[in-house]
Amino acid sequence: MSLADDLAAFLGPGRVKTDPLERHVYARDGGLRTGPVEVIVHPRTTAEVVEIVRTARNHGSPVVARGAGTGLASGAVPTGPAVLVVLTRMDEIHEVDEASRTAWVGPGLINLELSQHIAPLGLHYAPDPSSQSICTIGGNVATNAGGPHCLADGTTVAHVLGIELVTVDGEVVMLGGAAPDPIGLDLRGVVVGSEGTVGVVTRVLVRLTEDAPATRTLLLAFGDTADAAATVSDTVAAGVIPAALEMMDRVMVGLIENWIHAGFPTDAAGVLLAELAGHPAAVEAEAEMLSNIAKANGALSARLAADADEAARWWKGRKGAFGAVAQRAPDYYLHDTVVPRSRLVDILGRVHEIAERHDLEVMNVFHAGDGNLHPLMPFDAAEPGTLERVQAAADEIVTASVEAGGTLSGEHGIGLEKRDLMSLVFSPVDLDAQARLREAFDPVGLFNPDKVLPAGSRCFDYGRPAPAQ
Amino acid sequence: MTTETIGRRFHHLEVEANERMPECQLVLAPTTAEEAAAVLDAAAEHGLPVLFWGNGSHQGFGHRVETAIVISTERMNRIIEWSPADLTVVAEAGVRIGDLALRLLEENQTAVLPEAPVEATVGGVIASGQSGWGRLRYGPIRDRMLEVVLATGDGRVVRGGAPVVKNVTGYDLPRLATGSFGSLGLISRVALKLWPVGERAATVTVEAADRALAIAYRPLAVIEENGTARVYLTGTSAEVETQTAELSGTAVDGLDWPHPLAGETVLVVRVPAGLTGAATERVPSSWSYQAAFGVGEVRLAGPSEPAADLLATLRDWTATVGGAAVVERAPEALYEKVDPWGEPGPSLELQRRVKAAFDPLGICNPGRLPGKL
Repeated sequence: MSLADDLAAFLGPGRVKTDPLERHVYARDGGLRTGPVEVIVHPRTTAEVVEIVRTARNHGSPVVARGAGTGLASGAVPTGPAVLVVLTRMDEIHEVDEASRTAWVGPGLINLELSQHIAPLGLHYAPDPSSQSICTIGGNVATNAGGPHCLADGTTVAHVLGIELVTVDGEVVMLGGAAPDPIGLDLRGVVVGSEGTVGVVTRVLVRLTEDAPATRTLLLAFGDTADAAATVSDTVAAGVIPAALEMMDRVMVGLIENWIHAGFPTDAAGVLLAELAGHPAAVEAEAEMLSNIAKANGALSARLAADADEAARWWKGRKGAFGAVAQRAPDYYLHDTVVPRSRLVDILGRVHEIAERHDLEVMNVFHAGDGNLHPLMPFDAAEPGTLERVQAAADEIVTASVEAGGTLSGEHGIGLEKRDLMSLVFSPVDLDAQARLREAFDPVGLFNPDKVLPAGSRCFDYGRPAPAQ
Repeated sequence: MTTETIGRRFHHLEVEANERMPECQLVLAPTTAEEAAAVLDAAAEHGLPVLFWGNGSHQGFGHRVETAIVISTERMNRIIEWSPADLTVVAEAGVRIGDLALRLLEENQTAVLPEAPVEATVGGVIASGQSGWGRLRYGPIRDRMLEVVLATGDGRVVRGGAPVVKNVTGYDLPRLATGSFGSLGLISRVALKLWPVGERAATVTVEAADRALAIAYRPLAVIEENGTARVYLTGTSAEVETQTAELSGTAVDGLDWPHPLAGETVLVVRVPAGLTGAATERVPSSWSYQAAFGVGEVRLAGPSEPAADLLATLRDWTATVGGAAVVERAPEALYEKVDPWGEPGPSLELQRRVKAAFDPLGICNPGRLPGKL
């Protein structure tokens, strides 16, 4: 029997798709590339995922798991005929433990829906990527997703306590758990950020965060992005870690205003959006401190949101930034490098210089507090030669970030997009070690092959081999 | 014979054994990850077990290890790079946590490592996964791990992560190394995320820990010690004052942390956070304890005699609620009677393969981990 027939035998024909339209739709995620999809399946239970993994393995077909497909690194795009396991129907909230502030959820649950569900308890799920209204918790686990509020609260890995994983042998293992410091090696930490290469995550135990009793949202405008960057550094140096600290440059602000009318000042070279969250007595003092730091750095204006509505409008503007870019060009390339916070000014200058040299427009909207850059280059892929220029500029921006002591990705992942740049940050020995770790989970290369690690990472020349058994 | 060969080859690294170390033939103190890797390569060649040693503060965890060679981190004790503006620090494994804490305080920063014992080393607290009391607010120690350099059991020097505060570039080796008890190799160097220290701190004695936990907003810690509950606050002056008033307890300035538990045997009960109070009710009255509310960890100390029975009783309970009861410190005889970890759990085979990816010959702290990995 064919692979699709074998899968349909237990999933039923309605949840196994092979028609050309479906295969076309699922051939890409939020990134720029497409890949061949052989069969698309929509499991509802862990037991079905187990059967899918066993069946795919019997047919020698790779397994590529995905959620909503909002990933930007082509991490969910197959590189050869594969079974695409779409987990969006495993979207249950299985159990909420209010006393321990944890919840077991399905990987297909939408990030924002979790926070909405637990809002009556005064709790929320902290990681909040811009795509949070459509992206899934499982996808967040795969990419160790971040978001503006990860500055104070950490990325996904700090909020995932346990994982149910279907292994290459079709077994179900529980990693981590609700109690602190589970005994043995921390394999839960390996799965987070592994981009679907070590197994299929079928349940996630997440940590829930107490809502702050008070928030203050500040909008700071600067005549020079260097002043905005200095404000970021000085704030942290003063011992204030805002809940979020986001920067946008003039081009970006112009596009957002044109589209969403968030109320951002369009005459500023750089705008900082800061949120202070905490005890009322703390946020009051911190908001004043941040205003003063901004003014000392020559801020044109420092405004406190008058009410929750105004703050919500500002955040809507910030999170709508990527959508706003569509006004400028049909495609865009979004970076995700990280540099030490203190190098922000240097690197922004370098990014502009690189874009100019390749005759490309560049705009910036990013998590300044983390040093996580998102330079964005709009372009039209239909124009001959443009994509090549974009790629060349992209590689230079990544290289410049690495030279500044940074790394390739802060929250989007490596996928296919940055896979071949891994050797910029890791030695052959480091990459071989990562390949061995992956091999410990998946010795046959079943799960999302060709992602994260460049071809040839596994090298048998390093270290002393174990004696033959 | 083979240890002698290694001793001759690495004569320049040899140091005196200290009396707390387990019995061994050779103690070597490399100065770099590369030197450590060379020693491990030689040990692997001869199939000799190696145990890693910082200060020995946390060697009570896990199964006892018979070793030929001890690798001490005493000469790997430099703070390599500290960037206050980036809130990151790069330190070698042998740096003492007390020294690091004092240094970072010069710029009002902290790595939120354990507060005691101050002689414990950075490598030791990471290898044993020990968090500071402030984990309620700042998360466990693994959340501070940005980068790690490991000298692996087969003599490689492997770096994972990056010294930046946000990262998803390859597999998370820094977290894997945290709590690995030397099973993968020697943690030689780490980059840690730092936090600013609040301008003011207070310790408030309150009536009930669980009620205080519900009232206080993100306290540093809520600890019940032998029936006395204290809330630890830090932040701006206004915040600390207001929160102190809201708690309506008796406050003193500064952080008056509990002293490390005295007692022959120390056990640790780990349960979902909401069951911390329930765990304290299971501590016999003759034992002393410190319970971290909101975290789910209770440390208890008492005489070794009934420890085996107590451990069994505690495990009967933790097994039903999803948790563990482990031995932190005990006389040698207890390790012969009980498994210091308890049931190793369902991922043992996967863990075995992961260990082998770093230590294919199984020479690094062999048998220390749950399931005697």
